[in-house]
Amino acid sequence: MSARLSARALTAGVLAIAMSVAGMHAIAQAPTASQATPAVQPPTPATPAYMMPMLPDAKAMAARSNQSPTLSGIPTSPIATAIEKLPLEKMVLPPGFKVETFVSGVAGARMIYLGPKGTLFVSTSRLGRIYAVKDPFGKKEVMTIAQGLTLPNGIAMKDGALIVVANSKVFRYDAIEDTLDKPVQTDISEKFRLPGDQMHGWRYIAFGPDSKLYIAAGAYCNVCELNPGINGNIRRYDADGSNMEIVARGVRNTVGFDWHPATQELWFTDNGRDWAGNEGPEDELNRIAKGKDGAFYGFPYCHANGMPDPDIKRPDPCVGVTLPVALLGPHGAAIGLKFYTGSMFPAKYRNVAFIARHGSWNREIKFGYDIVTATIEGGKAKVEPFLSGLIDKEKNVGLVRPVAFLQLQDGSLLFSDELNGAIYRISYSDASLRK
Amino acid sequence: MTFLVTQLRRFRVPALWLGISLLLSGPVVAQSVAERIQLCQACHGQDGNSLIPNIPSLAGQPEFFLLNQLVLIREGVRPIAAMQEVVKGLKDADIQAIAAHFAGLPAKAGDEKTDPALVTQGAELAPGLECISCHKPDLTGQQQMPRLARQRLDYLIMALKSFRDGTRSGADPLMVGAVLGRSDAELIALAHYAASK
Repeated sequence: MSARLSARALTAGVLAIAMSVAGMHAIAQAPTASQATPAVQPPTPATPAYMMPMLPDAKAMAARSNQSPTLSGIPTSPIATAIEKLPLEKMVLPPGFKVETFVSGVAGARMIYLGPKGTLFVSTSRLGRIYAVKDPFGKKEVMTIAQGLTLPNGIAMKDGALIVVANSKVFRYDAIEDTLDKPVQTDISEKFRLPGDQMHGWRYIAFGPDSKLYIAAGAYCNVCELNPGINGNIRRYDADGSNMEIVARGVRNTVGFDWHPATQELWFTDNGRDWAGNEGPEDELNRIAKGKDGAFYGFPYCHANGMPDPDIKRPDPCVGVTLPVALLGPHGAAIGLKFYTGSMFPAKYRNVAFIARHGSWNREIKFGYDIVTATIEGGKAKVEPFLSGLIDKEKNVGLVRPVAFLQLQDGSLLFSDELNGAIYRISYSDASLRK
Repeated sequence: MTFLVTQLRRFRVPALWLGISLLLSGPVVAQSVAERIQLCQACHGQDGNSLIPNIPSLAGQPEFFLLNQLVLIREGVRPIAAMQEVVKGLKDADIQAIAAHFAGLPAKAGDEKTDPALVTQGAELAPGLECISCHKPDLTGQQQMPRLARQRLDYLIMALKSFRDGTRSGADPLMVGAVLGRSDAELIALAHYAASK
């Protein structure tokens, strides 16, 4: 475009765009230079009464929390950290364990899934992309196979098809590993009837040992009363979206669950609410005991080990509530959860839950940004640090935000890092210990 | 450029459409960052301070905010019809340069008048919604959170309603949570308060 032409084109651009704004619902009149066209606001969709949230008094809640009003959400960069700048050397692990970069350049990495033909799939949340890493053990070629999706956190595979749950949408990409250059998307959302709320609308999904698809549907608020048949639950479906059943209610938001390898019971993390103080309520590690499908886990009335909510009150708030097996710390944002079943790590790690603490924003002194283990015995869980060292204490910021795990065939463990857009591999060898 | 033509055609302005299609009939080639910035300025203001209703000002926005939004708009996470052609084919490095350009310009007060009574009302509402926890006490924004101070009033009202009503694709979920269930009157008061800063 020449300079002379561009000046005239710019005028045209102004007119066209002003008109497109003004003309959403009416045919625009030809504008003149002096005419300022009033904007027509799109009509507000009427919200049915049953969908109106029951909200606490926000001002009272903020005052009561006693937390600094300067706390704010942590950004996810749409541009991945360069491989040489990843904070690998800061990571502290138990003796014998080693961590290395497995894949870099996957901005906003969330869930990871290894296809049967060897493609590594990586989801994102706000960034709206799905990546495929071709030849992840060799050339590691990163390609974006879908973009522009809404919060496409949830990925899983079934019969060669990639299933992506993006907020209220469910997409299937048949024979995905044979069609990476031109994936064919089928929208199978209708039967699932997932809520479309944005807050906590990034859904964790996984196929269970019963071949059902389990999907998290979090609360659409920090804390509020809601319809437990729609939000604040974990539900399961047949793969095509039929036969929905709720397996856990009163769940604020879980972004990680897995089935215990021995008992086949479902274990899940749940994040505590914000703006109720720096010390909690703590995040939870929960279990759905055999025969207790549909149990109520307390949100919004009762948190952590039986802490009544200071804002949303009801008589006997913790009666009938299934309390957590263990607490996972205040505002640590415990999300990813995976039971270790490999043989590379020492025997004491067998059937131990690895938990990714994404790291919080709603706490004055930052907490989490690490991986802990939960060793389960006799219905109880002992939580211990596993990978740490990733909070810059001086700047009070986390250097890594772990999200999800993937156990490889050799028993090593991958985890994703949303902050830097990278995936790391943790391996174990006792060779260094025998020296 | 075909986009502009299509828009004009949509609104049935044949004479103008003909004129503009003649203007734009030259080949569209890859544009430099400077040329892209000129395109931005056409609507968002020569100095990044918008004078067009419902078009936001970009001047003085946090650099990361602009970068992030441009990526989301480019990839259709936040689809904006009027922006599609402008961001098409932008490389990450171009986006970084455009973001840095507008972030470096001073935000100026606009031509709209705020209502002092509504400003007071908005100022009383704001602490309960934790506005300043993300947008900072002077509402100049930080990181992925935009500057609200000196933003266009009509744009703020439109944006707040779209967050509340769930009509804004690619909205920040925390922001959606913050204005959940608020009335039009409350959102208008908040907009007056923010624009007045």
